[in-house]
Amino acid sequence: MTALKKEVVKAEGNEIYDVELSEDLLKANRRLAEENKQFLCRNGVRAIDVMGAIGSGKTSLIEKLVQLLKTKHRIAVFKGDLTTTIDAELIARHGVKTVAINTGKECHLDANLVKKALQKLDLNNIDLLFIENVGNLICPAEFPLGSDKRVVVVSVTEGPHMVVKHPFIFMETEVVAVNKRDLAEAMGVDVKQLEKDVKTINPKAIVVATNCRTGEGVEDVAKALGL
Amino acid sequence: MHEFSVTSQIVRSVLEESEKRKAKKVTGVHLVIGKLTFLGLDQVRFAYDVLTKGTIMEGSKLVIEEQEGVVKCGRCGYEGSFQYEDDPVYHVPMPTLKCPKCDSVVNIIAGKECVIKSIQMMV
Repeated sequence: MTALKKEVVKAEGNEIYDVELSEDLLKANRRLAEENKQFLCRNGVRAIDVMGAIGSGKTSLIEKLVQLLKTKHRIAVFKGDLTTTIDAELIARHGVKTVAINTGKECHLDANLVKKALQKLDLNNIDLLFIENVGNLICPAEFPLGSDKRVVVVSVTEGPHMVVKHPFIFMETEVVAVNKRDLAEAMGVDVKQLEKDVKTINPKAIVVATNCRTGEGVEDVAKALGL
Repeated sequence: MHEFSVTSQIVRSVLEESEKRKAKKVTGVHLVIGKLTFLGLDQVRFAYDVLTKGTIMEGSKLVIEEQEGVVKCGRCGYEGSFQYEDDPVYHVPMPTLKCPKCDSVVNIIAGKECVIKSIQMMV
Protein backbone atom coordinates (compact mmCIF):
# COMPACT_ATOMS: atom_id res chain seq x y z
CA MET A 1 0.00 0.00 0.00
CA THR A 2 1.50 3.20 -1.04
CA ALA A 3 1.57 5.74 1.70
CA LEU A 4 -0.36 8.85 0.85
CA LYS A 5 2.06 11.55 0.28
CA LYS A 6 0.74 14.72 1.73
CA GLU A 7 1.85 17.72 -0.12
CA VAL A 8 2.61 20.28 2.45
CA VAL A 9 3.23 23.79 1.36
CA LYS A 10 5.33 25.59 3.84
CA ALA A 11 5.83 29.30 3.90
CA GLU A 12 9.35 30.15 2.97
CA GLY A 13 11.07 32.55 5.24
CA ASN A 14 10.46 36.19 4.27
CA GLU A 15 7.43 35.52 2.12
CA ILE A 16 4.96 38.36 2.05
CA TYR A 17 1.45 37.60 3.22
CA ASP A 18 -1.41 39.80 2.17
CA VAL A 19 -4.00 39.81 4.93
CA GLU A 20 -7.39 41.23 4.03
CA LEU A 21 -9.46 42.88 6.71
CA SER A 22 -12.47 45.09 6.61
CA GLU A 23 -12.17 46.79 9.92
CA ASP A 24 -13.85 50.20 10.03
CA LEU A 25 -12.27 52.02 12.94
CA LEU A 26 -14.98 54.64 13.11
CA LYS A 27 -17.63 51.94 13.61
CA ALA A 28 -16.78 51.61 17.31
CA ASN A 29 -18.42 54.91 18.22
CA ARG A 30 -21.43 54.24 15.98
CA ARG A 31 -21.93 50.85 17.62
CA LEU A 32 -21.79 52.39 21.10
CA ALA A 33 -24.18 55.12 20.00
CA GLU A 34 -26.66 52.47 18.86
CA GLU A 35 -26.29 50.73 22.22
CA ASN A 36 -26.99 54.01 24.02
CA LYS A 37 -30.06 54.53 21.85
CA GLN A 38 -31.45 51.06 22.61
CA PHE A 39 -30.72 51.52 26.32
CA LEU A 40 -32.54 54.87 26.43
CA CYS A 41 -35.47 53.46 24.45
CA ARG A 42 -35.85 50.47 26.78
CA ASN A 43 -36.03 52.92 29.68
CA GLY A 44 -38.57 55.19 28.01
CA VAL A 45 -36.19 58.16 27.66
CA ARG A 46 -35.91 60.40 24.59
CA ALA A 47 -32.55 62.08 24.12
CA ILE A 48 -31.94 65.25 22.13
CA ASP A 49 -28.37 66.05 20.98
CA VAL A 50 -27.89 69.85 20.95
CA MET A 51 -24.97 70.84 18.73
CA GLY A 52 -23.84 74.20 17.44
CA ALA A 53 -21.15 76.80 17.11
CA ILE A 54 -19.37 78.26 20.13
CA GLY A 55 -21.49 80.95 21.74
CA SER A 56 -24.46 80.35 19.44
CA GLY A 57 -26.93 79.86 22.26
CA LYS A 58 -27.05 76.09 22.93
CA THR A 59 -27.20 76.52 26.70
CA SER A 60 -29.77 79.32 26.43
CA LEU A 61 -31.93 77.16 24.18
CA ILE A 62 -31.79 74.27 26.64
CA GLU A 63 -32.58 76.60 29.55
CA LYS A 64 -35.66 77.89 27.73
CA LEU A 65 -36.74 74.39 26.64
CA VAL A 66 -36.40 73.21 30.24
CA GLN A 67 -38.54 76.12 31.51
CA LEU A 68 -41.14 75.40 28.83
CA LEU A 69 -41.31 71.64 29.27
CA LYS A 70 -40.55 70.85 32.90
CA THR A 71 -44.20 70.46 33.87
CA LYS A 72 -44.83 68.18 30.89
CA HIS A 73 -41.65 66.07 31.09
CA ARG A 74 -39.22 64.81 33.69
CA ILE A 75 -36.00 66.25 32.35
CA ALA A 76 -32.26 65.71 32.83
CA VAL A 77 -29.43 67.51 31.06
CA PHE A 78 -25.90 66.46 30.12
CA LYS A 79 -23.66 69.48 29.62
CA GLY A 80 -20.51 68.85 27.57
CA ASP A 81 -17.62 71.27 27.91
CA LEU A 82 -13.84 71.02 27.89
CA THR A 83 -13.74 72.21 31.44
CA THR A 84 -15.70 74.04 34.18
CA THR A 85 -19.23 73.45 35.38
CA ILE A 86 -20.39 77.04 34.76
CA ASP A 87 -23.09 76.17 32.24
CA ALA A 88 -24.14 73.03 34.08
CA GLU A 89 -24.80 75.14 37.19
CA LEU A 90 -26.88 77.60 35.14
CA ILE A 91 -29.13 74.81 33.96
CA ALA A 92 -29.30 73.10 37.36
CA ARG A 93 -30.84 76.27 38.79
CA HIS A 94 -34.04 75.36 36.94
CA GLY A 95 -34.38 72.35 39.16
CA VAL A 96 -33.42 69.62 36.72
CA LYS A 97 -30.82 66.90 37.24
CA THR A 98 -27.70 68.10 35.42
CA VAL A 99 -24.53 66.14 34.78
CA ALA A 100 -21.46 68.04 33.59
CA ILE A 101 -19.30 66.05 31.17
CA ASN A 102 -15.84 67.55 31.04
CA THR A 103 -14.09 66.20 27.98
CA GLY A 104 -10.67 67.47 29.01
CA LYS A 105 -9.18 68.01 25.58
CA GLU A 106 -11.69 66.45 23.20
CA CYS A 107 -13.57 68.87 21.00
CA HIS A 108 -16.79 66.85 20.90
CA LEU A 109 -18.77 64.42 23.01
CA ASP A 110 -18.68 60.78 22.02
CA ALA A 111 -20.93 57.79 22.70
CA ASN A 112 -18.55 56.43 25.34
CA LEU A 113 -18.69 59.62 27.44
CA VAL A 114 -22.48 59.64 27.16
CA LYS A 115 -22.62 55.98 28.21
CA LYS A 116 -20.56 56.82 31.34
CA ALA A 117 -22.80 59.80 32.13
CA LEU A 118 -25.94 57.65 31.77
CA GLN A 119 -24.72 55.66 34.77
CA LYS A 120 -25.17 58.79 36.89
CA LEU A 121 -28.88 58.99 36.10
CA ASP A 122 -31.82 57.20 37.64
CA LEU A 123 -33.70 56.57 34.41
CA ASN A 124 -36.88 55.72 36.33
CA ASN A 125 -37.19 59.42 37.11
CA ILE A 126 -36.76 60.92 33.67
CA ASP A 127 -38.32 60.71 30.22
CA LEU A 128 -36.42 63.49 28.40
CA LEU A 129 -32.67 64.05 28.22
CA PHE A 130 -30.98 67.05 26.60
CA ILE A 131 -27.33 66.48 25.71
CA GLU A 132 -25.46 69.70 25.06
CA ASN A 133 -22.46 68.99 22.86
CA VAL A 134 -19.22 70.97 22.86
CA GLY A 135 -19.38 74.12 20.70
CA ASN A 136 -18.11 72.91 17.32
CA LEU A 137 -19.67 72.67 13.85
CA ILE A 138 -17.28 70.04 12.51
CA CYS A 139 -16.51 67.07 14.74
CA PRO A 140 -19.90 66.32 16.38
CA ALA A 141 -21.25 65.43 12.93
CA GLU A 142 -18.93 62.40 12.88
CA PHE A 143 -19.75 61.19 16.39
CA PRO A 144 -23.37 60.20 16.97
CA LEU A 145 -24.27 59.83 20.64
CA GLY A 146 -27.38 57.65 20.47
CA SER A 147 -29.91 60.47 20.61
CA ASP A 148 -33.42 60.32 19.22
CA LYS A 149 -33.18 63.68 17.46
CA ARG A 150 -30.51 66.32 16.86
CA VAL A 151 -30.72 70.11 16.76
CA VAL A 152 -27.97 72.43 15.49
CA VAL A 153 -27.87 75.98 16.84
CA VAL A 154 -26.25 78.72 14.79
CA SER A 155 -26.65 82.43 15.41
CA VAL A 156 -26.59 85.59 13.31
CA THR A 157 -23.53 86.83 15.19
CA GLU A 158 -21.43 84.16 13.44
CA GLY A 159 -22.07 85.95 10.17
CA PRO A 160 -23.79 84.79 6.98
CA HIS A 161 -21.47 81.93 5.96
CA MET A 162 -21.62 79.43 8.83
CA VAL A 163 -24.10 77.13 7.10
CA VAL A 164 -22.43 76.95 3.67
CA LYS A 165 -19.04 76.43 5.32
CA HIS A 166 -20.20 73.42 7.35
CA PRO A 167 -22.67 71.49 5.18
CA PHE A 168 -22.12 68.07 6.73
CA ILE A 169 -23.33 68.87 10.22
CA PHE A 170 -26.54 70.23 8.70
CA MET A 171 -27.00 66.94 6.85
CA GLU A 172 -26.89 65.10 10.17
CA THR A 173 -29.61 67.05 11.97
CA GLU A 174 -33.40 67.17 12.03
CA VAL A 175 -33.85 70.70 13.40
CA VAL A 176 -31.89 73.94 13.08
CA ALA A 177 -32.31 76.97 15.32
CA VAL A 178 -31.12 80.28 13.87
CA ASN A 179 -30.65 82.22 17.08
CA LYS A 180 -30.27 85.88 18.09
CA ARG A 181 -32.72 86.88 15.37
CA ASP A 182 -33.18 90.22 17.14
CA LEU A 183 -29.58 91.08 16.15
CA ALA A 184 -29.94 90.17 12.46
CA GLU A 185 -30.27 93.74 11.26
CA ALA A 186 -27.33 94.96 13.32
CA MET A 187 -25.23 92.10 11.91
CA GLY A 188 -26.40 92.59 8.35
CA VAL A 189 -27.39 88.92 8.22
CA ASP A 190 -30.47 87.71 6.37
CA VAL A 191 -32.15 85.03 8.49
CA LYS A 192 -34.22 83.87 5.49
CA GLN A 193 -31.01 83.29 3.50
CA LEU A 194 -29.58 81.16 6.32
CA GLU A 195 -32.80 79.17 6.32
CA LYS A 196 -32.56 78.75 2.56
CA ASP A 197 -28.93 77.56 2.89
CA VAL A 198 -29.97 74.88 5.39
CA LYS A 199 -32.87 73.71 3.21
CA THR A 200 -30.64 73.51 0.14
CA ILE A 201 -28.22 71.23 1.98
CA ASN A 202 -30.89 69.26 3.85
CA PRO A 203 -34.45 69.64 2.53
CA LYS A 204 -35.81 67.59 5.46
CA ALA A 205 -34.44 69.88 8.19
CA ILE A 206 -36.91 72.12 10.04
CA VAL A 207 -35.50 75.62 10.55
CA VAL A 208 -36.73 77.94 13.32
CA ALA A 209 -35.59 81.51 13.96
CA THR A 210 -35.22 82.09 17.69
CA ASN A 211 -34.33 84.59 20.35
CA CYS A 212 -33.26 82.38 23.23
CA ARG A 213 -32.95 85.29 25.61
CA THR A 214 -36.63 86.14 25.39
CA GLY A 215 -37.81 82.67 24.41
CA GLU A 216 -39.26 83.63 21.01
CA GLY A 217 -39.36 80.64 18.69
CA VAL A 218 -38.52 78.12 21.41
CA GLU A 219 -42.00 76.63 21.35
CA ASP A 220 -41.58 76.00 17.62
CA VAL A 221 -38.25 74.27 18.28
CA ALA A 222 -39.96 72.05 20.86
CA LYS A 223 -42.71 71.22 18.36
CA ALA A 224 -40.17 70.47 15.64
CA LEU A 225 -38.44 68.07 18.05
CA GLY A 226 -41.74 66.36 18.73
CA LEU A 227 -41.87 67.48 22.39
CA MET B 1 -9.36 66.28 12.71
CA HIS B 2 -8.35 63.53 15.14
CA GLU B 3 -5.78 62.08 12.75
CA PHE B 4 -3.42 61.20 15.57
CA SER B 5 -5.95 59.23 17.61
CA VAL B 6 -7.34 57.43 14.55
CA THR B 7 -3.83 56.57 13.34
CA SER B 8 -3.00 55.25 16.82
CA GLN B 9 -5.92 52.89 16.46
CA ILE B 10 -4.76 51.85 13.00
CA VAL B 11 -1.25 51.06 14.23
CA ARG B 12 -2.63 49.16 17.22
CA SER B 13 -4.96 47.08 15.02
CA VAL B 14 -2.20 46.26 12.53
CA LEU B 15 0.21 45.26 15.29
CA GLU B 16 -2.49 43.00 16.80
CA GLU B 17 -3.10 41.26 13.47
CA SER B 18 0.63 40.88 12.87
CA GLU B 19 1.18 39.40 16.29
CA LYS B 20 -1.58 36.85 15.65
CA ARG B 21 0.37 35.64 12.65
CA LYS B 22 3.77 35.98 14.31
CA ALA B 23 4.92 38.35 11.57
CA LYS B 24 8.53 39.47 11.51
CA LYS B 25 7.83 42.67 9.65
CA VAL B 26 4.93 44.65 8.18
CA THR B 27 5.78 45.85 4.70
CA GLY B 28 2.58 47.61 3.77
CA VAL B 29 -0.82 48.81 4.95
CA HIS B 30 -3.72 49.69 2.65
CA LEU B 31 -6.32 52.07 4.07
CA VAL B 32 -9.62 53.27 2.66
CA ILE B 33 -10.55 56.69 4.07
CA GLY B 34 -13.89 58.30 3.29
CA LYS B 35 -13.86 61.91 2.10
CA LEU B 36 -16.62 62.80 4.59
CA THR B 37 -14.47 61.90 7.59
CA PHE B 38 -12.47 65.15 7.64
CA LEU B 39 -9.30 63.14 8.14
CA GLY B 40 -6.39 65.01 6.60
CA LEU B 41 -4.33 62.51 4.64
CA ASP B 42 -1.04 64.36 5.10
CA GLN B 43 -1.58 64.39 8.84
CA VAL B 44 -2.43 60.67 8.81
CA ARG B 45 0.83 59.96 6.96
CA PHE B 46 2.78 62.10 9.39
CA ALA B 47 1.18 60.44 12.42
CA TYR B 48 1.80 57.01 10.85
CA ASP B 49 5.53 57.71 10.47
CA VAL B 50 5.77 58.89 14.06
CA LEU B 51 3.71 56.08 15.58
CA THR B 52 5.35 53.20 13.68
CA LYS B 53 8.90 54.12 14.66
CA GLY B 54 10.51 51.37 16.72
CA THR B 55 7.83 48.83 15.78
CA ILE B 56 7.77 46.11 13.12
CA MET B 57 5.75 48.57 11.04
CA GLU B 58 8.61 51.04 10.72
CA GLY B 59 9.38 51.74 7.10
CA SER B 60 6.21 50.08 5.80
CA LYS B 61 4.44 51.52 2.77
CA LEU B 62 1.16 53.26 3.59
CA VAL B 63 -1.33 53.30 0.73
CA ILE B 64 -4.41 55.46 1.26
CA GLU B 65 -7.36 55.03 -1.05
CA GLU B 66 -9.91 57.84 -0.83
CA GLN B 67 -13.58 56.88 -0.85
CA GLU B 68 -15.95 59.43 -2.33
CA GLY B 69 -19.21 60.28 -0.61
CA VAL B 70 -22.01 58.14 -2.05
CA VAL B 71 -25.71 58.74 -1.55
CA LYS B 72 -28.72 56.52 -2.22
CA CYS B 73 -32.32 57.44 -2.86
CA GLY B 74 -34.95 55.30 -1.13
CA ARG B 75 -37.55 56.35 -3.67
CA CYS B 76 -35.99 55.95 -7.11
CA GLY B 77 -32.90 53.87 -6.23
CA TYR B 78 -30.35 56.46 -7.46
CA GLU B 79 -26.91 55.63 -6.15
CA GLY B 80 -24.01 57.95 -6.81
CA SER B 81 -22.40 61.21 -5.86
CA PHE B 82 -24.04 64.15 -4.11
CA GLN B 83 -25.89 66.72 -6.12
CA TYR B 84 -24.13 70.05 -5.78
CA GLU B 85 -25.98 73.34 -6.02
CA ASP B 86 -24.32 76.56 -6.89
CA ASP B 87 -25.42 79.17 -4.39
CA PRO B 88 -26.28 82.41 -6.25
CA VAL B 89 -25.42 84.58 -3.24
CA TYR B 90 -22.02 83.20 -2.24
CA HIS B 91 -21.11 81.35 -5.45
CA VAL B 92 -20.19 78.29 -3.44
CA PRO B 93 -21.02 74.77 -4.66
CA MET B 94 -23.01 73.22 -1.83
CA PRO B 95 -23.48 69.46 -1.45
CA THR B 96 -27.13 68.63 -0.89
CA LEU B 97 -29.22 65.69 0.20
CA LYS B 98 -31.54 66.22 -2.76
CA CYS B 99 -31.77 63.27 -5.13
CA PRO B 100 -30.42 64.37 -8.53
CA LYS B 101 -33.02 62.21 -10.27
CA CYS B 102 -36.28 62.55 -8.43
CA ASP B 103 -36.00 65.42 -5.92
CA SER B 104 -36.61 63.18 -2.93
CA VAL B 105 -34.13 63.16 -0.02
CA VAL B 106 -31.18 60.74 -0.12
CA ASN B 107 -29.17 58.94 2.55
CA ILE B 108 -25.39 58.84 2.74
CA ILE B 109 -24.18 55.26 2.26
CA ALA B 110 -20.42 55.69 1.83
CA GLY B 111 -17.70 58.19 2.54
CA LYS B 112 -17.69 58.05 6.32
CA GLU B 113 -15.41 55.07 6.79
CA CYS B 114 -11.81 54.55 7.87
CA VAL B 115 -11.03 50.96 6.92
CA ILE B 116 -7.89 48.88 7.10
CA LYS B 117 -8.38 47.07 3.79
CA SER B 118 -5.25 44.90 3.86
CA ILE B 119 -1.88 44.40 5.51
CA GLN B 120 1.23 43.03 3.84
CA MET B 121 3.51 41.26 6.27
CA MET B 122 6.60 39.07 6.31
CA VAL B 123 6.04 35.89 8.27
